[in-house]
Amino acid sequence: MPNILLSVKNAKKTYKGGVTALAGVNLEIHNNEIIAILGSSGAGKSTLIKSILGLVKLDTGKIFFKNNALLGKNFSRLRSSISTIYQNFNLVSRSSVLSNILHGKVSKVSSWRILFNIWPKADQYKAVSLLEEVGLKGMNYDKRVENLSGGQQQRIGIARALIVSPEIILADEPVSSLDPETAKEILKLLKDTAKKNKISILCSLHQVEFAKLFADRVVGMSNGKIIFDKSSKKLLKSDLNKIYK
Amino acid sequence: MKKLNNNLKPPFSLKTIFFIFLFFIVFLISAQRVGIPDIVDRLYEASLDLIGVKNTSKISEGLSRISKEMWPPVVESKKDINLILNFDATNLPLFSYVKVYKDKLYEINPDTLLLEEIEEEEIEFLVEPFGYLKLVFIKILESIEIAFWASFISIVLSIPLAYYSAKNYSPNSLIYFIARSIVSGLRAIPELISVLFMVLAFGFGPAAGIMALGLHSAGFLGKFFAEDIENADTGPQDALIALGASKWRVLKLSVLPQVMPQYVAYLLYILDRNLRMATVIGLVGGGGIGQELKGRFDLFEYGHVTTIIIAIFLVVFIFDQLSAKLRSKLIGD
Repeated sequence: MPNILLSVKNAKKTYKGGVTALAGVNLEIHNNEIIAILGSSGAGKSTLIKSILGLVKLDTGKIFFKNNALLGKNFSRLRSSISTIYQNFNLVSRSSVLSNILHGKVSKVSSWRILFNIWPKADQYKAVSLLEEVGLKGMNYDKRVENLSGGQQQRIGIARALIVSPEIILADEPVSSLDPETAKEILKLLKDTAKKNKISILCSLHQVEFAKLFADRVVGMSNGKIIFDKSSKKLLKSDLNKIYK
Repeated sequence: MKKLNNNLKPPFSLKTIFFIFLFFIVFLISAQRVGIPDIVDRLYEASLDLIGVKNTSKISEGLSRISKEMWPPVVESKKDINLILNFDATNLPLFSYVKVYKDKLYEINPDTLLLEEIEEEEIEFLVEPFGYLKLVFIKILESIEIAFWASFISIVLSIPLAYYSAKNYSPNSLIYFIARSIVSGLRAIPELISVLFMVLAFGFGPAAGIMALGLHSAGFLGKFFAEDIENADTGPQDALIALGASKWRVLKLSVLPQVMPQYVAYLLYILDRNLRMATVIGLVGGGGIGQELKGRFDLFEYGHVTTIIIAIFLVVFIFDQLSAKLRSKLIGD
């Protein structure tokens, strides 16, 4: 069995209104593994991903990355190995394609470079080569992101995630705002690049058939709890009935 | 037939009707206090005068008297050569000439206590055909400079003010409160009032005007900028925070590009506003064309006033055209 890359231990989170989003979640993600989290809206998928990113503070429980707790100083050091892809792409729409990819390196460059928008040459070359990797070869990288289609924007989002050479990518419903054809293409791209670069992926999804096609392992969540956690090949209809009531 | 849900509220409640009635009463009292009936009366008289039914109207009397004196606009300048130091008749400025004007001298007769003409004297004046136009140009340039510098100061001041008065970027609630109070305070004092204090601090002239306009518009920009920062899309900001970016990096890379179009629009508005206000603050000692306008108005030299008003109109009009072009160039499609 490959090494454990990231583990979530007894994660609990109740929001201010009294909604329990995570009710004691335990999850292990191994190296070079693709995991899809399934569940209906409000099952706790997004909260789980946000808590790993530090955007949601857990009430109890810990998250470990390569056996180091994701806390304090460790957090900012280890976070650079974790990239994210979002449902609404979360790109700066009025900035250029190239700038958006380079934003991945935001914490790696000096302040004056940020101030004057002057990025290191090596990063710029990498960004352009990533455009090719995500299937946007020959695209005008000075173009504003707002002028691109949803699928193209998500490809830029993937390129932004890849520029830091991450060990794991967290994806919060990365294809739910795309049409089914484009969604399939994006997931295939994500899978191929992950396998090629030996990156693990934790991805929340709505569509069961996409999860089967895309993931090695499928985790089903309901009411903040993990209901099942098994290989995507062994997924049964009865499993799904437990999470989609 | 099933009865309709009787929980539905009627469109107008008794309370609403009462408040409309109350508003109407206050409206009538206020109209009486500020002299609205007088305005209506005078406009009615004037319209009767216009169609020839009546030939006495205070409005048309007042306006026609001043409009006769306002035309034509004055473009030349005249100066008594006796008042010009080291006047050299052989070396006159370009296009200028010396013209003799006759002036009558009067004296009060101590016996009759009446003004009596004692002699007619000839005074030589140096006439510069476009002399007054030149002066207006210089003064209006000063107003433009006041507007420019005031806008510059307001931008410089409003950047930290906006950062600290944006709730999501201010370090803590005390600093937020202080910054918001400064922003409100600056906005609350009208330029025409603050320039009076600035004149005490900086003396008569452009410096007082620049400070008064700059501080006031910093309040405006600070508020607008802060609200835009607060309302900017949080998605791209979250993405950068998750990548480990510090607050100011998020602001620079994610918020600024989003709010830039509004910023440019605000800046152009502030520049346009300062330009118009720069012509006004001169009336109370803030320098620029306003000071000249006030002087000529007080001397009843309405021809000069016309020249100034036309010049102000032209500058504002030209700036309007330029700013529309600049806006589309900076903001893009």
